[in-house]
Amino acid sequence: MTLNKTLTLLLAGAAMTVTASAAMAQQTNLRVFVSSQHRPDVWRKAFDMYEAKNPNVKVTLETGGNTSEQQAQYLNTVMTAKDSSLDVMILDVIRPAQYAAAGWTVPFNEVIGKDVKAYMDRYLPAYAEANTVDGKVVALPAFADAMFLYYRKDLLDKHGIQPPKTWAELTAAAKKITEAEKDPNLQGLSFQGKAIEGAVCTFLLPYWSMGKQLVSNGKLSFDKDAAVKSLKLWKDFVDQGVAKKNIAEVATDDTRKEFQAGNVVFAVNWSYAWGQFQGNESAVKDKVGVVKLPAVEGGEPASCLGGWEWGVSSYSNNKTEAQKLVQYLSSPETSEFMAINAALLPAFPEKYTDEDVTKAVPWFANAKPVVETAKARPVTPRYNEVSEIIRTTVNGVLAGQQTPEQGADQMESRLHRVLR
Amino acid sequence: MATASETTLVSAPAEGATKWWTRFLDPSERTLAVLLLLPAAFLLALIIVYPVGRLVWTSFQNLSLTSGLPATFAGLENYALMLDDPVFWETTWNTILITLITVPGALVVGMILALMANLPFETKWPTRLSLLIPWALPLSFAGLIFAWFFHSEYGVVNDVLRRLGFEGVIWFNSANWAFAAICLTIVWKTSSFMALIILAGLQTIPRSLYEAAEVDGAGRIRQFFEITLPLLKPAIVVALIFRTITALQTFDIPYTMTRGGPGTSTATLAMYIHQNTVDFLDLGYGSALAVVMFLLSMGVTVVYLRMIRAKG
Repeated sequence: MTLNKTLTLLLAGAAMTVTASAAMAQQTNLRVFVSSQHRPDVWRKAFDMYEAKNPNVKVTLETGGNTSEQQAQYLNTVMTAKDSSLDVMILDVIRPAQYAAAGWTVPFNEVIGKDVKAYMDRYLPAYAEANTVDGKVVALPAFADAMFLYYRKDLLDKHGIQPPKTWAELTAAAKKITEAEKDPNLQGLSFQGKAIEGAVCTFLLPYWSMGKQLVSNGKLSFDKDAAVKSLKLWKDFVDQGVAKKNIAEVATDDTRKEFQAGNVVFAVNWSYAWGQFQGNESAVKDKVGVVKLPAVEGGEPASCLGGWEWGVSSYSNNKTEAQKLVQYLSSPETSEFMAINAALLPAFPEKYTDEDVTKAVPWFANAKPVVETAKARPVTPRYNEVSEIIRTTVNGVLAGQQTPEQGADQMESRLHRVLR
Repeated sequence: MATASETTLVSAPAEGATKWWTRFLDPSERTLAVLLLLPAAFLLALIIVYPVGRLVWTSFQNLSLTSGLPATFAGLENYALMLDDPVFWETTWNTILITLITVPGALVVGMILALMANLPFETKWPTRLSLLIPWALPLSFAGLIFAWFFHSEYGVVNDVLRRLGFEGVIWFNSANWAFAAICLTIVWKTSSFMALIILAGLQTIPRSLYEAAEVDGAGRIRQFFEITLPLLKPAIVVALIFRTITALQTFDIPYTMTRGGPGTSTATLAMYIHQNTVDFLDLGYGSALAVVMFLLSMGVTVVYLRMIRAKG
């Protein structure tokens, strides 16, 4: 009797498990990697809205790493292991080309359908370009970004100074303000000197402003003279006391924190900083202005093109569902939602002047021309090596390990090895 | 024993059969030895011989995942590239320098710690525990903790310096200071391992030797050099082998403290290998660098082993 009972129970249990797994089979679980510095909390809300509309899809959020390089290291490990656990990943704008070359992402051409060109033309041209490799759409834009000059509106007004148009003007303004304020904790300018991805942009800002390119038609077009001048410009900020002595230790988010604490007059940073400056913990709330970055004397102002893209892993078991999710994440609606709730710049030009967006982030209206003219870092599958060479040199020069001339020499010879 | 009797039981019904496999049922001592060693040999081949062989093979290939091209045979090209790669020479030199500084450093500090732990205190656990904690702490944690200690603005080291009336040092802004901070951290982290091995050695030295020396009128220092040090030699050599090999493979502490900066002035060979394989996805070049490090470690081990053998 008892044996029979047990058997029946066991069978019933097994039957239930089978039905349960049949129900599970219709449910798709998607695992999405989001960079931890780009408001995963707000992305989670966007996922929730997608789940509400698509009850058969469940999205799990994964974050990790503090910087673009750390995130790339993690994703590189997952991809080289051909791990199927990640379905969708957010990629820094410099990486879709590398990931496509390595065969790690699935093209979107089929899900987009016939008119791929019209589909991509909806985005700002720079992002349509960054995500298309040999006619294949290898990723879709998550949000746009560029570097801006943040400044303390209250301090500039107090001393009757206009936002600087050139780096020389910035030096003079910073000196005037810090000397008058007599606050030993007040830095004139904060930028990224640590050997991180941001330091590549640090180097390129004045280099581009002099009208020079690093790579032209796939060939290295390194201008040593401009490189020396660029490195010297930054080193002079340190030597003249405009930037702090240990600027070689400063990463992007350090600049943000120090400005937010009220210890910086001018700061070079990306758009994400705005949301935090206007937050409740901020010491500079309503005292911040944003303008285009200064130019070198006689040059054009230049900004570094940032932004992040959504890619679908080649090793995913749910490629079609994952691509559908990405199309939603890269839609004008999600773009607007993220602009309003997370101050992430839209990849769609018309959203910059959208009423709801400008109400939440008024300066976005002025940001559009900056994003449109921002320059892209060189596109090459060996970008990681190019980046490492530039950022360690910038770091070494700012720490005083090398003179700007030695740094430029080293940069040139090492870049030649990579971009032959 | 049990296996021997079982095998005879099994082999009994198969009497008369002369098939080749019957010898496994009643193995000679030699066959048994081979059979028993096989699983271990197989495991070793799987986790050591195969990966090392594969590494050497990859080092002769052009295999970069970012190129999108399949692997091609490249001969010695990766090794030739190394010769005029300034970063390879710099990181190798840094690695050797770290080894030359931190191995003797950890030996001296470890020896002092071990002698202190061996003192006849009533309660021994406080010293022993403080010996174990740095050893049990993961390397990268130690690196992160010390990175904060040496932080130019918020670090405790500069705070102490300022209180003593000195000017604080921007440790990670200068190659020499950053290098010094890294070496200090490594010595702190690794000397407890040295101390543990030396302490084990110390406890094997019979007390009677010291008592006899005292009767003969030898002082403390004389006792140390005439009794303790010579009898500790085997323990010291073992500790040195382990420490030197891990020093050549130094990665975690500089990686977490400076990421190799400023510039590349505190990067080690292990970090450069990691960078080439994980960041640049250049598996061919990364493997060639790893082969060089493997040879370096092998060379050091052979030298030490010779030293032990020479001493008998």
